[in-house]
Amino acid sequence: MIKIEEVRKSFGNLEVLKGIDLTVDKGEVVCLIGGSGSGKSTLLMCINALESIQSGRIEVDGIDVHAPSTDKNKLRRKLGIVFQQFNAFPHLTARENVALAPRHVLGLPKSETNQLAEHYLAHVGLGDKLDAYPTQLSGGQQQRLAIARALAMKPDYMLLDEVTSALDPELVGEVLDTLRLLAREGMTMIAVTHEIPFAREVADRVAFFHDGVIHEIGPARDLISSPQRTRTRDFLGKIL
Amino acid sequence: MNNISTTFTANDLLLMLQGAGVTFLLTIVSGIGGTVLGFLIGWGRSLRAPWLYYPLGAYIEIMRAVPLIIQFVLMNSFMAILGYAINPFLSGIISLTLYIAAYVAEVVRAGIDAVPHPMVRAARGLGLGYIQAFRLVVVPLGLKTVLPAWTGLMLGLMKDTSLIAVLGASPPELLRSSQIIITRIQEPLAVLTGAGAFYFIMCWLITLAVRRYEQRPLLQSLGR
Amino acid sequence: MLNYRFQWRAVFKHLPDLVDAAFLTLQITVLSVIIGLAIAVILAVWRRSENAWLFWLTATWVALARNTPALLQIYLFYFGLGAYGIHLSPYAAVLAAITFNNAGYLTEILRGGIDAVNPSQGRAALGLGMTPLQVYARVIFPQVFRAVFLPITNQIIWAMLGTSLGMIIGLQELTGMTTFLQSQTFRPFEFYLAAALIYLVMVETVLVCARLYARWAFRW
Repeated sequence: MIKIEEVRKSFGNLEVLKGIDLTVDKGEVVCLIGGSGSGKSTLLMCINALESIQSGRIEVDGIDVHAPSTDKNKLRRKLGIVFQQFNAFPHLTARENVALAPRHVLGLPKSETNQLAEHYLAHVGLGDKLDAYPTQLSGGQQQRLAIARALAMKPDYMLLDEVTSALDPELVGEVLDTLRLLAREGMTMIAVTHEIPFAREVADRVAFFHDGVIHEIGPARDLISSPQRTRTRDFLGKIL
Repeated sequence: MNNISTTFTANDLLLMLQGAGVTFLLTIVSGIGGTVLGFLIGWGRSLRAPWLYYPLGAYIEIMRAVPLIIQFVLMNSFMAILGYAINPFLSGIISLTLYIAAYVAEVVRAGIDAVPHPMVRAARGLGLGYIQAFRLVVVPLGLKTVLPAWTGLMLGLMKDTSLIAVLGASPPELLRSSQIIITRIQEPLAVLTGAGAFYFIMCWLITLAVRRYEQRPLLQSLGR
Repeated sequence: MLNYRFQWRAVFKHLPDLVDAAFLTLQITVLSVIIGLAIAVILAVWRRSENAWLFWLTATWVALARNTPALLQIYLFYFGLGAYGIHLSPYAAVLAAITFNNAGYLTEILRGGIDAVNPSQGRAALGLGMTPLQVYARVIFPQVFRAVFLPITNQIIWAMLGTSLGMIIGLQELTGMTTFLQSQTFRPFEFYLAAALIYLVMVETVLVCARLYARWAFRW
């Protein structure tokens, strides 16, 4: 379970998160929507301690993420993260990309990490691209590679930060298909997304961010079909 | 009567200023010559006709693999063998021009290659001839990529003019005139520091001029 | 021109001397690049430091190395240090000056290489649970290395050609030795051509090795 309580975060004088409360249960899929600069992506960075917070508390399976005594590298193994930019490591093949962290973070033997890599690459539909370098892959394939790389650490949660935003329209579908697959398998996910139809279909709950707070949150279908608040309605009206 | 002063005099400053002028002149003349020649070589190579591509490539490779001092001396001997009166200043300028042209050629070729081919096709599609498309589309676009590297080459050229000293060219450029002063007043550190300051200022002026040119609206609009 | 008759006998006779001198050229090149690189790594780190003194020291070093002629730098080490009672041999002066120059240029090359790596690469690697040290060693360094490989190769070649300036202060590296021998035998054209050829062979060897290595190491 991920428990977020009263989290505040500023960059200099700019307060980006102004008191966020959110609890995500095991197996749940929560989509975060909202305009750019509303703080959704920052929240993801705070959950796996890539960004610090000024006040409040984030707990992952009972571990206080931002406590000084927390081993952040160890914590991040629980939390897979995928970014908008694909961030495939250009100097490594697809197989090496996926095997890197299991080998050097978990210390698994090479034979095992290779198997792991092959398994997860096949899982995201890249079974025939094991020895390809990222430059030889399309944007959609690179993003699926990034997903496989995160999955290979066998995380309990996946944080997805606008993973389809940098893709050409015709490549969005293949990445969303991969995410649907994860949702069906019961992976707990927090996804920042602009794909409203996708959120409606896959998410259990949707949270609308506005100006650093969760302006409205509710079951996906309800919030998207019949938003209760004006700003939510305006936003959805603009984007749909 | 001993009227040779052993301190730095106003005349010395004049000599150094004159040397700086000669350095500047050498840079301008061989810089312009080398840019024109290098442009032609780079353009010739970009055509990718084997009979041009490889000989020009060999020229570039050789000029970049032999120390400039040796090129100076060889050019000087070569001119003598050809039967010209020995003129270190002239053979120095010719050497510098041929030398820097090889570097300019590679920069020019990279600039031409950096212009996306569809852009050229689009220009041709509008009915522009090859020369027109080159002049109106490829050159302005390529300039953006070429300018920083070209500036670096010109600064390098200015510093390399100091090597003309091995030929004993006259009038002396900046470093040679500093040496003449050092021989007399025996204050190498001070004089060399002064000469360094001169070079520094000239480099800075060239950089500033190019930067101002880069601020022109056309180049700005090509910023991304 | 048609009257000029090449005479190579003297060159052949002194070929062993030229080869020995070429090894001296190589030695100075290798040393100046290795020491220069070590200094450049330190300067590149200092350049990002919060300490104003370290920042300015680095900036000054880089600016001086890049904006003054290498020959002036050699003069400064050879003649200029005399004011402090330090008298370097031609060998030491050339090595010091070329190293000084290398360090300045290499600092800029390293800075460019670090800038060439997308900062989000580091974030992605941290996100996988890697320690900062692992992130640098496994993800950042290989990408920086690729970005700086070609510029460093060019710097090595520049250093090799730059050592020829040693001739002016009487160092008998390849160019200096050539100058000495031609003055003994009065065959300047032949001797300098031979020297040019030796430089060409050395430079091409470096380039070919670098290209082969790059093709093997940077398949990505």
